Amino acid sequence: MSTENQVEYPLDQAVDFVIVGSGSSGGILAKELSTGGFSVVLLEQGPFREAKDFTHDEFSVFAMSELSGGTPEINNQTFRDDESKVAQVARDRGPAFYSPGVGGSSVHYSANFWRLREIDFNERSVLGPIAGTNFADWPISYDDLEPYYTKVDWEIGICGEPGPFDSWRSRPFPMPPMPVKSSGVLLEKGAKALGLHAQAEPLAILSAPHNGRAPCIHCGFCMGFGCEIGAKSSTLAAMIPLAQASGNCEIRAGCAVYQLETGDSGKISEVRYIDPDGNQRAQKARAVVVAANGAETPRLLLNSANAANPDGLANSSGFVGRNLMLNSHGLVHATFEHELNDYHGVQCTRVVHDYYESDPKRGFYGGGGFDARPFLHATPMMYALTGQPPGKNWGAEFKDTMAHNFNHQMTIAVGATSLAQDRNNITIDPTHKDKWGRPSLRMTYLDHDDDLANARFLQSVGKEVVDAAGALEQWSRPVGPQNGGPHLLGTCRMGEDPQTSVIDPQHRSHDISNLFICDGSSMVTSGRGQPTMTIMALAFRAADHIAAAAKANEI
Amino acid sequence: MKRDQVTRRRFIGGSGVLAGSSLLRISAPAALAFAETACTARNEGAEFKTLTAAEGRELDALSARILPTTDTPGAREAGVVYFFDTVLGDQFADQLNGFRGMMNEFQAGIESRFAGAETFSDLSESDQDAYLTDNEQTPFFGMLRAFTLMGFFTMSKYGGNKDNIGWKLIGFDGHGAAQPPFGYYDAQYMQGEQDEH
Repeated sequence: MSTENQVEYPLDQAVDFVIVGSGSSGGILAKELSTGGFSVVLLEQGPFREAKDFTHDEFSVFAMSELSGGTPEINNQTFRDDESKVAQVARDRGPAFYSPGVGGSSVHYSANFWRLREIDFNERSVLGPIAGTNFADWPISYDDLEPYYTKVDWEIGICGEPGPFDSWRSRPFPMPPMPVKSSGVLLEKGAKALGLHAQAEPLAILSAPHNGRAPCIHCGFCMGFGCEIGAKSSTLAAMIPLAQASGNCEIRAGCAVYQLETGDSGKISEVRYIDPDGNQRAQKARAVVVAANGAETPRLLLNSANAANPDGLANSSGFVGRNLMLNSHGLVHATFEHELNDYHGVQCTRVVHDYYESDPKRGFYGGGGFDARPFLHATPMMYALTGQPPGKNWGAEFKDTMAHNFNHQMTIAVGATSLAQDRNNITIDPTHKDKWGRPSLRMTYLDHDDDLANARFLQSVGKEVVDAAGALEQWSRPVGPQNGGPHLLGTCRMGEDPQTSVIDPQHRSHDISNLFICDGSSMVTSGRGQPTMTIMALAFRAADHIAAAAKANEI
Repeated sequence: MKRDQVTRRRFIGGSGVLAGSSLLRISAPAALAFAETACTARNEGAEFKTLTAAEGRELDALSARILPTTDTPGAREAGVVYFFDTVLGDQFADQLNGFRGMMNEFQAGIESRFAGAETFSDLSESDQDAYLTDNEQTPFFGMLRAFTLMGFFTMSKYGGNKDNIGWKLIGFDGHGAAQPPFGYYDAQYMQGEQDEH
């Protein structure tokens, strides 16, 4: 996208805000603050693509990680499941899976947009403590966030219709739900037979023209791909053009931030980064918003440790990087008698939320939902590689089965809770560095037993549902511990108490008055498996508070 | 998105066999990329740019057992060997030596098992299948299988999937705009809704 006509700010004169990261949160903050009249420099480590750059090229997107940061050795992220072990460079893909580039992971996501509910914000009070975890209430309620969920609905562009268990909403969806696909019909049929309730999946994809943007053409290349139509409601499609049009936002793509520098006052004085030509630069700013995602945000704060902040910035609580939550997941695959052709259209059109709330009678903490979708089997190469039933995986019979099943197959995908634990965290790898020379991100993660039990339970319900819908054949892999994921939550949690949280309820860090943090890291609990709607709502809300503070000269 | 489903190395087989691959960036507009797919698959018998003729013969025979020619086309008709030739010379060029090493090792066992044969393509189809079965658990097999599937199903600009044979085989006619209903069950559902009104 063109940056030719955009405003340019000198490095040595303080802009009102530097925002680090241009994804689901950063893209919204850039739009809100720049259209609010503040000068903004938006730093993004990945490239500035535009809609016409997005292809249907599976080999490039999945085999070469075109949209997800390239091959692992570029980032050299490391992983371990226990703090006693030496973390290893992940050879298959980085454990913190995200999309560098303007718009961030909102460019390649599947765009399932569940709101949280009242219970997500005060569940600790309702259920009581869970030993060995940092399970806590949020310092804000659903009512506090509802106006901003509605803002996401209308400004980002969400289609859907209210479901039987949804929390209240102040305004209807701006667009009707997507037409139900065969997978959605079968989910609905199976759910009904079991006394469950399938509802329309809310999606950040336009089902009708909205805000001057064209609607979905049902090409089916959503999951992992960028949308060449601009119908997928990424911040690239919905927010970045408005930020640029404000004349107050300079987007600098290909710029990898490596340090936030604090001055004599203890406040952040400048943001240091490596520009696309490999030069070290420093942008002065009145205030900084870090919105780099739940893995890169704590990494930057920890990598910015200095004499005055030996444990990293904003880390007097020791909570920077802690309480990482990935959401738990499970899958069930099934084939049916007639053609579904589920490769057309958006991923999901129906979801079941009957098990959203935790029920002590089940014997473990946790809740979640499950939807029906083609999953990664919507596109031919990924279908062939990952969508086949167990058994012989080559030869004539394999080929025939593969040829038959493509049009007859669907997947149930479970998204569910993760508990906050000290042992699951983002730290700095002591050995490895990324291609920019920044010490690598190290993830330590082992799912809580309750998270695994809950995902297994929901997977077992999914198996019953496809049976009840008339599946001819079904198969699944057992739910096991995860070694990474795209949902990066909880690592700079918000709270009133500076001893047990990193940011206050207005997203200002407890320790540094001109440092704000807003992304998945702000979340206190994980929700039920689709966090981006909440990340975006938090960003709209944070922008209101940050703008008010700036106007009052309190940054 | 369940991440373990999209891992390149995992679906390719042996752990770490393909570490260090170069990064490919496709910046052509989508429409151009689609247009290219119709005309870039190479003709059968074309020369290889990366593989030797002997390697090409072997990989053609090998990929043809992963996806055999039956009453429907297989890897051979889709020109999958040209996918090997393309990506081992470009996106996976740093894996070429490792791949060759594994293939040599694979071939080295043929002579002792099948008297009079030196290469995989020398064997009868049933002997080929028997030998491949013996090697199912090797990293070479994992890579061979993954490359065959990728070459058969990914865009023909990477050398395979000639005339979109792979897509036709499974009934994929996507890439463009589509209008619901897409399948049997949603068509029925729409019909039911209309009947109610």
